[in-house]
Amino acid sequence: MVEKKEYKEWPPYAPGTYVRESDIRDKNITYTWWEPEVQYSWSLGPAMSKFLKGLKAGKIFGIHCKRCKRIIVPPRMFCEYCYGPTEEWVELPDTGIIETFSISYLDPDARRIEEPILVGVVDLDGTPPHHGFMHYFGEMTKDEIKIGMKVKAVWKPENEREGSITDIKYFKPLKGGGE
Amino acid sequence: MGFLEKQTDPMSPMHWRGDMQADYFYPSGVAGDRFFKHLKQNDSFLASTCKKCNKVYCPPRLYCEDCFEEIPDSNWKQVSASGTIKLFTLAKLNAHGENLESPKVVAMIEIDGTNSRILGLIKTNDFEKDFCGTKVKALLRPKDKREGTMKDILYWE
Repeated sequence: MVEKKEYKEWPPYAPGTYVRESDIRDKNITYTWWEPEVQYSWSLGPAMSKFLKGLKAGKIFGIHCKRCKRIIVPPRMFCEYCYGPTEEWVELPDTGIIETFSISYLDPDARRIEEPILVGVVDLDGTPPHHGFMHYFGEMTKDEIKIGMKVKAVWKPENEREGSITDIKYFKPLKGGGE
Repeated sequence: MGFLEKQTDPMSPMHWRGDMQADYFYPSGVAGDRFFKHLKQNDSFLASTCKKCNKVYCPPRLYCEDCFEEIPDSNWKQVSASGTIKLFTLAKLNAHGENLESPKVVAMIEIDGTNSRILGLIKTNDFEKDFCGTKVKALLRPKDKREGTMKDILYWE
């Protein structure tokens, strides 16, 4: 017969010793601190390269899939639906509608903030419905933002653009638009 | 450029470059802290002995790694900063894989009066020698420049 063993915590519980911020600051404890150099270089591929170079020039490029008859933005070298190659580049307007949004009381470093940031997906005009990319929304309050709202891009000054998605500062409400 | 064209230059598309902050903070722990604070003030090491299996640890441990027995403060002792080379290797490349001007001898040194080994650099110009079994003594930093890390042991000679 198997003897029933009494459950025993193993290794036995031992209260820990906490390291406080002041211990590190006042050098009360000995420690090793190392800052490794970790650099990365991420190849964007031909499609994303053209898209970001376009943003630097103040243009938004999409790519057309002939078989699915849709415009893909951000562009891809192949269509994710039919796996066929995409060939035809199109320039898109910098206006669109809010597909979905979020009111965030956390900043990008996850710190709590008083004034919320508005983020969401923008569905650009000329692209099929329910397709878009994420961006910030500005010049509107959290009470004004609505799904389906017409928006327009606010660009950085040309000399500050660096070929990044943040070359568009945010999307603002398009005047005369509405629902 | 189309999808069916072959890309031969990996640098032709744009590259997104960045730095990742990955700081590494390693506190010495309760036993390690005592060991390094002792090393800061003295030219000897601390060691702790397990009362059950009589294994001597240097750097000291709070628990025996073999039998998990707790080691009380009364079982701590001072040992001299000397030992015997048990293993060694000749390093000809640095951490980045580049050639070193002169090779370095890295050795496992069994501290006298303990059962533990410490990794250290050997100060020598003789790279043909078999170091196994050689008695060595730790060359420590001047007392006012010690930081309380393993780097306080400069060489063994």
